[in-house]
Amino acid sequence: MKIAFTAKGKDWSSSMDPRFGRTEYFLIYDEEKDKIEFIDNSEANQEAHGAGPKTAQKLFDLGAQVLITGNGPGGNAASVLDKMELKIYIGAGDMTVKAAYEAYKNNQLKKF
Amino acid sequence: MKEIVIISGKGGTGKTSVTSSFALLAGKNAIIADCDVDAADMHILMQPDYEIKEDFYSGELAVINPETCTQCGICADICRFDAISIINNKHVVEPLSCEGCGYCARVCPVNAIKNIDLKVGQYFISNIKTGTKMVHAKLGIGADNSGKLVANVKNEAKKLALKLNKEFILIDGSPGVGCPVTSSLSGAHFVVLVTEPTLSALHDLKRVYVLVKKFNIKAACIINKWDINTAVSSEIKDFLKKEGILHIADLNYDEAFTKAMIQGKAIVEIEDSEVGKILKESWETIKKNIS
Repeated sequence: MKIAFTAKGKDWSSSMDPRFGRTEYFLIYDEEKDKIEFIDNSEANQEAHGAGPKTAQKLFDLGAQVLITGNGPGGNAASVLDKMELKIYIGAGDMTVKAAYEAYKNNQLKKF
Repeated sequence: MKEIVIISGKGGTGKTSVTSSFALLAGKNAIIADCDVDAADMHILMQPDYEIKEDFYSGELAVINPETCTQCGICADICRFDAISIINNKHVVEPLSCEGCGYCARVCPVNAIKNIDLKVGQYFISNIKTGTKMVHAKLGIGADNSGKLVANVKNEAKKLALKLNKEFILIDGSPGVGCPVTSSLSGAHFVVLVTEPTLSALHDLKRVYVLVKKFNIKAACIINKWDINTAVSSEIKDFLKKEGILHIADLNYDEAFTKAMIQGKAIVEIEDSEVGKILKESWETIKKNIS
């Protein structure tokens, strides 16, 4: 599975970013290949409008199947993500990316 | 560090009156953020000093270079917002009408049009009368709001709270249910809904609670001016019970709020205020319920 995390940094020890649309980075973890990459999302925060849908499109282009985040996407982003086959888990806003992954694996996160 | 956001749905229910009181009660333990950037008013009660000012840029503005422009008029023809007019025989972009879409710049045959970053306001980090800091902002006239400035204000507040090791961030949220509210709510640990017993307030309370519920944030409610319509107050209480929203307090309609405001004070700063007493108890209840 390809798992996307909304994050404030570029590696496993970074804090999760509770926001979706204006998240600083995405961390993408490919479970099969055990590979992690980070995507800079700061230009979404440059946008006056449409940050949510723009970020959702980015997630689609990255091919993620699971999204782990803080509170979840707002209304506009959610409408776009709805069209994707994406499982969204929330409640990880105050964790590190590593802890968020563990929580997800242990079924401790809530489904959006 | 816990983020508490105070929202209402319908405006005018008393968000700022409540937030300012909690700010006074939290004192040095909190960083305050005024995320109602469209109609900021926390500064009236918190006496900020505007120590740090930063320009805020959002969106773009088209600008026609009069020297390169051949006055062909293609830009004026295609502009969807009627933002280009002829003044003194020259084509000019009207800044308040331009939406920064960039279409005119694209079609100009001589590249006379540039899109520049638009300064739409400022945000501030101030020292306030409670001995702590407040992050607040002011949008310019006709400036467009979105989640962006709210996100910036919140991020600054969070940075400060972590750096100064504060226990709380108190956020005066945006009214309504649009992107600014979503932006206010993202990352919150606790939401206080301030409402009043009118049908429009109840309607918008329900709408905004849909957002809060989706974001899975714990919520509590204060019914302000509850005695002006006890029937609707009852309806609100039923709604709170049904949704499992903690009902913290009912505040009587009290002109002491206005008298305090005129003096630039939060109601808890007024001695012997009944409403002030209830808000003090409310703050204790919130602190108990926040983890």
